[in-house]
Amino acid sequence: MKHWTEGFEDDDADEPLVRPYTITGGRTAPERDDLTLITLVTAASEVSSEAGRALRRMQPEHRTIFALCKRPLAVAEVASALNLPVSVTKILIGDLIEAGQMRARPPLAFAQAGGFPDMAILEAVRDGLRKL
Amino acid sequence: MGYANSDHGNAAPLAVKILIAGGFGVGKTTLVGAVSEVAPLRTEEYLTHASVGVDDLEGVGAKSTTTVALDFGRITINRDIVLYLFGTPGQERFWFMWNDLVNGAMGAVVLVDTRRLEVSFASIDFFESRGIPFVVGVNCFHGVKDRTPEEIRRALDLDPQVPLAFCDARDRTAGRDVLLTLIDHLMAARPRTTAHPVA
Ligand SMILES: Nc1nc2c(ncn2[C@@H]2O[C@H](COP(=O)(O)OP(=O)(O)OP(=O)(O)O)[C@@H](O)[C@H]2O)c(=O)[nH]1
Ligand SMILES: [Mg+2]
Repeated sequence: MKHWTEGFEDDDADEPLVRPYTITGGRTAPERDDLTLITLVTAASEVSSEAGRALRRMQPEHRTIFALCKRPLAVAEVASALNLPVSVTKILIGDLIEAGQMRARPPLAFAQAGGFPDMAILEAVRDGLRKL
Repeated sequence: MGYANSDHGNAAPLAVKILIAGGFGVGKTTLVGAVSEVAPLRTEEYLTHASVGVDDLEGVGAKSTTTVALDFGRITINRDIVLYLFGTPGQERFWFMWNDLVNGAMGAVVLVDTRRLEVSFASIDFFESRGIPFVVGVNCFHGVKDRTPEEIRRALDLDPQVPLAFCDARDRTAGRDVLLTLIDHLMAARPRTTAHPVA
């Protein structure tokens, strides 16, 4: 059986940065710094006609993201689906949030500022894992 | 449920993450694949931008930059919580440049291969220095348990409080049990607050 990691080629290791940043109109850093790898993003269920027109003027990648996120997806999942680097994906998602077409739910922060995880969440994760 | 963010209008669950770390070839990707509900996904990041926030394109067109890849999986815990597992890139020096990878993690599993314990030293140092809780998973390649837990602990200079568990990274149940060891460790490590006694 083929190991599933086969086919993950590092063929683009030295690819110049031009193409991904063409999609972002030359921007290389996201304007918002609140998107993380596991921020969950969801397409807005109703989009104003104005926002809908804006979407049609955006890059095809924006429309792909919008279509993918009918159900909540992590930023990392969107990046993976589009085969784009995380930072580029964040810029595109930021555009959609800015335009009122997507919503983001930040993850629960652990291991930061000496915070300890909520016992209720740990219990829920434990119970969920036991069912695996 | 009490922990859901009530000020949130949309239906997105709460995301949490666990890092699967350890040196080159210790079985990180295998473990992620064994427990994930989807075939593991792969994504990559440009580290120069992630770390220094380059904000103009000057010169960028001509040069390449460091690309680092990671693979990840997901486990739907319940309606409200989704757990992401990130297999961290083998070279720990990248983690210092990629805050987003480490920030907000519940904790980590450091996989070790008893034949090459030293390749996982840097991962252990990293989590110790950052104060991120972790457990050590001894990946028993070919089912071989050739060293005792005591020997491994001594060789890793492991804090006695850090749990160590044997596993087979290819096995879903074994992989899940290592994750459970981490969750138990997190629950035990939680300080007792007299203000909010656990009922
Ligand atoms: N026999 C055996 N092989 C294993 C086990 N775990 C992993 N392997 C194999 O060991 C090799 C390395 O495993 P990976 O999961 O790719 O290791 P990794 O830590 O992700 O490796 P890098 O990402 O390259 O650092 C693969 O060929 C796996 O199939 C195990 O428990 N037993
Ligand atoms: Mg790997």
